[in-house]
Amino acid sequence: MESKKNEEEEEHGTEKLEFEASEIEYVSYGGEHHLPLVMSLVDQELSEPYSIFTYRYFVYLWPQLSFLAFHRGKCVGTVVCKMGEHRNTFRGYIAMLVVIKPYRGRGIATELVTRSIQVMMESGCEEVTLEAEVTNKGALALYGRLGFIRAKRLFRYYLNGVDAFRLKLLFPRQDLHPLADKDDGHGHTDHIPSERCCELH
Amino acid sequence: MEGQAAGEAVMDVSLPEGNSITSGENTVWADISPLLDAACRDLEDGELIHGENFNLFAAMSALEIMDPKMDSGIVCKYYSVNEAIENGAAPVPISLDKSVDVRCTIDIMDHLLACEATWHKGHSLAQTVFSCIYLLRPERTSSHALLHSFCRVMRATCKAVVSVVSDARTHEEEDLFTMTYGLPLNGDDDKCLTMLNAVEETTCRQLRACKAPSSKKRVIEDIEPLQTNLELEEGYCRALLCRLRFRKHFYHVLACLRRPQGRGLELARKHIASCISELECALSSSEFLRSVAFGTYDDQIEDKTTASGCEPIGFDASLNCRLSAPTPPRAIKILSWKKAVEYFIKLLHDLDVICSYSLDPSLESVLHFVVQFQKSQPDLVARAHLQRLLVQDGKLYGQDPVFAVITRAAALPEATKNHDIQKNEFIVQLGQLVLNLLKILCTNSAWKRRKLGKIIQDWRVIYLQLELAFKKEFGENASVSNDENVCVKIFQHILLWVEEQTYWIASQFLILGFELELYSPSEYCMVYWYIYVVSIKLAEKTHLKTAVTCGTGKRKGKKKRDCLKDVARDYRIPPAVLFLQCQICLAEGLTMMLAALRNEHMMFQSLNIFNTEHERFIQHFDLLQKACIPDHASYPSFNESTNYARLSNLVMYNYFKDAQRIAKEVKSSFSNDPDKLAELRRLEQVAEHNNVALNVICRVGVGDPSLKVSFEFNHHPYFATAVVKRS
Repeated sequence: MESKKNEEEEEHGTEKLEFEASEIEYVSYGGEHHLPLVMSLVDQELSEPYSIFTYRYFVYLWPQLSFLAFHRGKCVGTVVCKMGEHRNTFRGYIAMLVVIKPYRGRGIATELVTRSIQVMMESGCEEVTLEAEVTNKGALALYGRLGFIRAKRLFRYYLNGVDAFRLKLLFPRQDLHPLADKDDGHGHTDHIPSERCCELH
Repeated sequence: MEGQAAGEAVMDVSLPEGNSITSGENTVWADISPLLDAACRDLEDGELIHGENFNLFAAMSALEIMDPKMDSGIVCKYYSVNEAIENGAAPVPISLDKSVDVRCTIDIMDHLLACEATWHKGHSLAQTVFSCIYLLRPERTSSHALLHSFCRVMRATCKAVVSVVSDARTHEEEDLFTMTYGLPLNGDDDKCLTMLNAVEETTCRQLRACKAPSSKKRVIEDIEPLQTNLELEEGYCRALLCRLRFRKHFYHVLACLRRPQGRGLELARKHIASCISELECALSSSEFLRSVAFGTYDDQIEDKTTASGCEPIGFDASLNCRLSAPTPPRAIKILSWKKAVEYFIKLLHDLDVICSYSLDPSLESVLHFVVQFQKSQPDLVARAHLQRLLVQDGKLYGQDPVFAVITRAAALPEATKNHDIQKNEFIVQLGQLVLNLLKILCTNSAWKRRKLGKIIQDWRVIYLQLELAFKKEFGENASVSNDENVCVKIFQHILLWVEEQTYWIASQFLILGFELELYSPSEYCMVYWYIYVVSIKLAEKTHLKTAVTCGTGKRKGKKKRDCLKDVARDYRIPPAVLFLQCQICLAEGLTMMLAALRNEHMMFQSLNIFNTEHERFIQHFDLLQKACIPDHASYPSFNESTNYARLSNLVMYNYFKDAQRIAKEVKSSFSNDPDKLAELRRLEQVAEHNNVALNVICRVGVGDPSLKVSFEFNHHPYFATAVVKRS
């Protein structure tokens, strides 16, 4: 459902903050006190208007799938997700992913979303899906690197008239590769090299 | 979030006695405020009482009152149309000064055109065309002949367009288009042209009167001029006339296109030509209108919704917000008048292409026509018209029964089309699939690809069912009677054709992925491999069918000698198959080149954090795999054929050279088919460029890290060209 605001990513002009990747603290959604942070971030950066019911729908039912990123006490990014049965498939869904502009391009979004996907995988999801605007090159590249494919194009999906891609990530089935490498990064991915990260939604 | 709190609260609340109102047997009305109060006291911050069916859709449908992003009512200037009218938002007449009145009327007409184009482009009718207050109150304009007649034809036109789009059902995701509730669309449609003609006639006479030399003026003196400023009379008359005439002809176009069996197409073309020429007149009237409005010729009207550049009177987009779907208000930017005129000219050209189609009864030609037509990216209205023309009353063009279409496509003799076999339940189903396919091909590309993906399975299943029915009936072909012999032949031909058609659908499905940008460069290799394996099957079936066609001709006894010649030439591959072979070579060449580049670590090193190429292969081709299209095409077979690809081998056996050679050879066979010739030229270019690129990469050296290879679509929409650069 996520959709970026119109003011284009463009942020080559905006000044970037100097900070170490280790200064960013990631926390799982912890309750009502986090909700205003999530809401204001999403409200600022994404074009679709969501009611408080929508936010609560996600964070109350799947608090373990939502994460926030803090830098020196300030919330700079968040991811909101759900999971459940969908046409006989247990499927994870990434609803919103936001990192504020000065913090983009440093792998924060990749880290946030990777944590959610990790929990989904451990919870038995067979696949993960989401929608992203076709013009949102940053997000498409990010998800592409994580193994998502563009499964469908959704005509004029957003209120602003832009098409969306439905992106899908299929997890390997054990019976498909019995000899799947154990060391190809499945386990611990908390550290994605920062040069692989990109600008965000 | 869960609702248990409420359940417990019920225990403590006793309903106040005596206050109940009897409402029927065993039921009473009761005041539940205490219950709600108690429930609220039990709820923590953020909790919600909800039914079991509370889902994401329900959560997202909730609106927050007074939030301008969600509350569509809050942005309204007026609470009702009546209030707007009382406030003078849409006066009749627009001005007591007749000259101003005419100027404003023209602005309204122009803004309506802009609104109409915006509507066609996918916004709601209520918030575009019907943001016009004059349109919302049909009776109010009756004293203003110009405005009244224009509003009437507008409403009738909208109704006709809504009707063709809803009939065609090509608008699945564009359903905003046909929502008309609450709008006054049902007027007396036939009278609208009578009124419009009368107004046109008057304006015409006014134009003649003002142009007449003064000596003759007396004769026509009884004609009241259009407005008071005689210097502007001619300009205004002309500007009005082209706008009125455009509406008239456009309404005629829609009416002609509605005639059954394509009978109105020829006449429609005449009206289309008139529409285009009136729009051109309107464009040239812009200079006059701007100079009247601003005194100077000012070029700053690019984004204005009127030719004069003035804001129109009588529009309020917020009035109808509440008529739109139960979603947050959509931000609608009305197209500029210039863009709207461009849109209509494109629409008219697209409709003209449809009208000039010869209604060829051959399915192959229909499919080719639709695919070609879609390449110009026609909008919804044009696509809806095409679909309505193709499929009417369950027949092709409303005249050819679908079984006749199938027998012709399957290269069966003409007489077969009346055979009783058409009553076979699977043949009937196959007919439905054909009609369905035609409809799907008329939809927007995104929807089309999804639907094609789904029907591949249906085509596969019908093939298996037909094959089974065939075997059951003619299992022992020891002694077949003559009639049975005919049945066997029909089944055989149809089976072959169904297979060919299935592979054609599969290849369309794969190709559309490029148009929709569904493939990332790291996936090109597997996509081209799949196109390659599907194309081989398609070519094989096409080849077989061509061979069988010749057999049919022979049996008919006609042109015996020609056919014998054909048999003699049978060793030569038919041009249609060679054409496919050219594409096969390109697909195979690209597969191998991409695989070699990957194998030699020159591009596409993927991370494989959560999954591998195997999963991505499954996801992209799941629908084809499920339908066994083609048999035995699987990830292991893809791997097997690409894992050992090396650039050095590729240079030795160069697929691109083969493609180039075939393209050159086969051109002469298509000398009277410009579409195919153009395609062959494109294929040839891709082959040539890739051949050069391949040689460069090999010569400069594999493993040179400064060499950057990328793939672009500058010569062909889906066969990529390699671009080699040194960084």
